[in-house]
Amino acid sequence: MIAKDICERVLQEAVSTGADYAELFAENTVQHSINMLDKKVDSINDAVIAGASIRLYKGLRSVMASTVDTSEAGLLRCARKAADALGEGTAEIAISLRERLYGDIHPVRIVPSTAPNSEKLVFLKDAYFAAQEYSDAIRQVNGTFLDVDHRILIATSEGLYAQDRQIRTRLTIQAVAEHNGETQTGTCGPGRRMGLEVFTDVVDPKETGIEAARQAVTMSKAGYCPAGVMPVAIGNAFGGVIFHEACGHSLEASSVAYGTSEFTGKLGQQIANPKVTAIDDGTIPGAWGSINIDDEGTPARKNVLIEKGVLKTYMIDKFNARRMGLPATGNSRRQSYAYTPTSRMTNTYIATGTDTEEEIFGSMEFGLYAKAMGGGSVNPATGEFNFAVNEGYLVRNGKICEPVRGASLVGKGSDVIRNIDMVSSNLELAQGMCGSSSGSIPTSVGEPLIRVSSITVGGR
Amino acid sequence: MDYNSFKNAVAAAAKAQGIADYELYYEASEDCSISTFRHEINQFSSSLDGGVCFRCIVDGKMGYASTEALGEAEAVSLVSRAADNARTLESEDQVFLGQGGQTYASCPHTCPEMAPTDLIRKVALEGDALLYAADPMVADGSEAQVVSQKMSVAIMNSNGLDLSYESGSHIFIASSVLYDGTELSTDYSIACGDLNTMDIAATVAKSVAKAKAKMGADVAPTGAYPVVFSPEAMGSLLSTFSGVFNAERVRRGLSRMGGKEGQVVASPMVTLVDDPFYKDSIMPLPFDAEGTPTYKKNVIENGVLKTLLYDLKTAAAVGKKTTGNAAKHNYAAPVGIMPFTMYLAPGELTEEELLQKAGNGVYITSLGGLHAGANPISGDFSLQSSGFMIENGVKTKAVKSFTVAGNWYNLLQQITALSDEVKLPGFPGKTAFASPAVLVEGLTVAGK
Repeated sequence: MIAKDICERVLQEAVSTGADYAELFAENTVQHSINMLDKKVDSINDAVIAGASIRLYKGLRSVMASTVDTSEAGLLRCARKAADALGEGTAEIAISLRERLYGDIHPVRIVPSTAPNSEKLVFLKDAYFAAQEYSDAIRQVNGTFLDVDHRILIATSEGLYAQDRQIRTRLTIQAVAEHNGETQTGTCGPGRRMGLEVFTDVVDPKETGIEAARQAVTMSKAGYCPAGVMPVAIGNAFGGVIFHEACGHSLEASSVAYGTSEFTGKLGQQIANPKVTAIDDGTIPGAWGSINIDDEGTPARKNVLIEKGVLKTYMIDKFNARRMGLPATGNSRRQSYAYTPTSRMTNTYIATGTDTEEEIFGSMEFGLYAKAMGGGSVNPATGEFNFAVNEGYLVRNGKICEPVRGASLVGKGSDVIRNIDMVSSNLELAQGMCGSSSGSIPTSVGEPLIRVSSITVGGR
Repeated sequence: MDYNSFKNAVAAAAKAQGIADYELYYEASEDCSISTFRHEINQFSSSLDGGVCFRCIVDGKMGYASTEALGEAEAVSLVSRAADNARTLESEDQVFLGQGGQTYASCPHTCPEMAPTDLIRKVALEGDALLYAADPMVADGSEAQVVSQKMSVAIMNSNGLDLSYESGSHIFIASSVLYDGTELSTDYSIACGDLNTMDIAATVAKSVAKAKAKMGADVAPTGAYPVVFSPEAMGSLLSTFSGVFNAERVRRGLSRMGGKEGQVVASPMVTLVDDPFYKDSIMPLPFDAEGTPTYKKNVIENGVLKTLLYDLKTAAAVGKKTTGNAAKHNYAAPVGIMPFTMYLAPGELTEEELLQKAGNGVYITSLGGLHAGANPISGDFSLQSSGFMIENGVKTKAVKSFTVAGNWYNLLQQITALSDEVKLPGFPGKTAFASPAVLVEGLTVAGK
C-alpha cells in the first residue's frame, strides 16, 4: 500500500520532536452493500475508504493525526502536525523497518469485492423471499447484503512493517409482521470473516430469512412482558451479549487504566460465579470478529478473561499497556484510520458448562426465557447495563409458555456475573457491530444457554 | 488531487461514459480534539476527513458510488461503479436531481473559525483544574475534552446546481467521575459555541452537580405512575423515534403515521417543530442534500399531524412537495430523509409547576440503550433509566437501574404538560433534538 522506504521517512519525521514511539497506520477499504425493500433492489452503497494516521507516544501522552492524503508529501505533513502537537524536542530514535509476514488463518475462496452484484443478489434474494413468503402476516422485509474488503498497513518505530487484509461478508434480514393492527419485527444477520462461500458452505440464506420472519410473526401475537425481578434463562449465541455488555466492556483497558471500571484492581479475584469462564478469542478461523493482527500490529490471541469466576486478564492496547504496566493482548481496534484505536473485544463468549437445558428450565418456578436478544449498552464505571429481549417467553413451573414482547434486562455487571449460576453446553457465536470510542467494529458474542438467578426485567 | 481538479476529472469521465444526469456531493471536515487525564494532556488528535459521492441516473435508476481517494483513475472508476450499481437496481420509483437557480435563506447566525491549538490546550487544562476543584469527591477518570471542528459541503450537478457551505463549532465536554470511597458516579455536560466566550466553569459545575446528585441512588419501585422526562431524556427519545415522521418510512410501512396527515396523532398541547436555523444549531443549513432550500415547519401542531418530512423522490411518489429534508448520514450514504433541529415546542408551566402537577411519580434524567430497547417500527420501548423520585410535587431521592416502558405512538397522546423552557441537549450535529421537560401519564416503571 505504502512502500517501506516512504514509511521510514514519514516515521522519522514523526519522531523528530522526541516521541518515544511512532506508528503509521494506512488503510484502503472497499465497502459494498445491496439493500432490498418492497421486494425490489432498492439501493446500493459502494464506498472506498482510504487514508492514514500517525500516532505518537511520549510517556503517557499520545498524539494522533489523520489524513486522506496518502501521498508521501501528505503523509509527511501529517507526521509534522503530530510531531508539532507533541511539543518541542529532538529525535531520540532512528527508524529502520523490517517486513513481517503474519499467516492468514482466515482463507477466502470467493473475494466479494471483485464479484459482480448478480452473484451477491442470488443469496440476498433467496433470504429475502424466504422471509416474505413465510407468512401472510409479513408486511415488509428489509434485506441487506454487505461485504467489506479492509486492507491495513502498520509500520512502527519498533521496526514493524506488516499488512493484513480482512474480508467480511454478512447478510441481514429484518422482517415486519402485523397482527391486529400492531407491528413487530424479527431480525437475523449471520456474517463471517469469509468470502461469498459462507452462503454456500456455512449459512443457508433461506434459513436466515425464515428465522427473521418466524421471530416477527411470533412476536406479533405476543402480549407484553410483565415487569419485575425474576430468574431469567438466556438463550445461546446472541444471548452472549449479556457478557459483552455486563462485563466485557468493563474489562477493556480504556476503562480499567483510568480507574473508571468497576473491575479495576480486581486481577486474581473472584469476580464472577465459579460456573463462569469467559474468553475473548481473536483467532477463531473465519469468525466475524477475528483478526490476524490487531490495528497496532499485535498478533491476535486467545485470552481467558475469567476462569471459573476468577479475573485472569484485561483486554489491553499498547497505549494503555504503558499506564497499566501490563503487556498488550492483541485487542487494539479502530473502525478506520480516522479513529484513535483502543482496547476492544473480538469474539467474546462464555465457555460451555455442565448444566442441561432440562435442569435450567426445571429450576424456574416463574421467570423469563430470553430466547433471542437485541443489543445493549453499559456504563463501565458504574457497571449499569441494559439490553433488549427480541424474543421472550414466560416460564412457569419449568415449562416454556406463551411469548412476550417489549422486555429489556437491566442491572449492574458485577452483580449479574455473580448471578449466572447455571451454564449449559450448547455454545454458539453470533455476529454484531460494537460501537465505542474507536468507532463501530465487527465483534462476535456467544454463550450456551445460561440462567441468571435474579435480574430486573423491564416490561409492563 | 484537490476537490476542484477531481470535480473536473469526474465531469470528463461522466461525459466519456455517456452519462448525462449526475451529481457530485463533497463533504470534508477538519477537527482537532484534546483531552486530559489527571491534570495533564492525555490525548491529542487532529484529523482531515472527507470524501465524495457520485450519483447518476442510468435507465431511470439512481446509482451511487463514493470514495476518499481523489485521483484520475479513481474518477473513472467512481463513475463506472455508480453506473453499474444503477443497472442492478429494480426500484421503479421516479428519481430526481435538484435544479439550479433556486433562492436560499441566509443563515441567521455565524459559526466560529477553527480554534488555535494553544487555545484548545489552555481551555482543556482549565476545565480539568475546574473539575478537580469543584468537589472533593471528583476522582481520576474525570476528563475535560475540547473539540474544534470545521465542516464543508458542496453539491454540483448536471442540472446547474452548484452550492457550497461551510460551518464550524467549538465544543467543550466536562466528564465527571465522583467517588465517595464506595461508589462511583459519572455524568457529563456539553457546551457549544465559541471557546473565547464559552462558560467553561458553568459547564463543569453542571457536570459535577449531575454526577453528585446521583450518588446513593436506590432502585425505583415497580409500578405505573406519572413520569416526567427531562429535556435530555425526551430529546433522546425523540431522536430514536423521529423516523416515524419520515415519509419514506411511512410509505414502506415502517411507521404507523401512514394516512395520518391532517389527523390528531398527539395530545392537543403537542407541537413538534423542525427548524434548519434553530438558534443553538451548530450547522444551520440553507439547503438540503438535494439542494432544495430549507425552511422551518410544524410537523405536529396542537396535536394534529401537519406534514411528514419529504425529499424529492418520496414527495413525487405520493403527490406532495418536498419539505427540504433530504439528508445523508455521511457523504457516502444514499440520500434519505432526516430532520434538522427537531423540538417539542414549550408549554406554559415552569419545571417546578410541572413536578407539582405530577404529584407522586418519577423524574427521568437519562435513558440508556436506545438503539436496542426501543423499536422505531412498533413504537415499543423498554429503557434503562435513572433519575429521581417525585414525592408530593418535589424531586426527592435519586433512583437508578430501573426501566420505563411504553409505546411512542401512545406516549404522544399521553403527554399532559410541557415545561416552558426548551433545551438542546446531547451531542450537537447536523441533526439535533431538543425538548422542554415533559409530563407523561400511564407508563410502567420496573425496578425492585
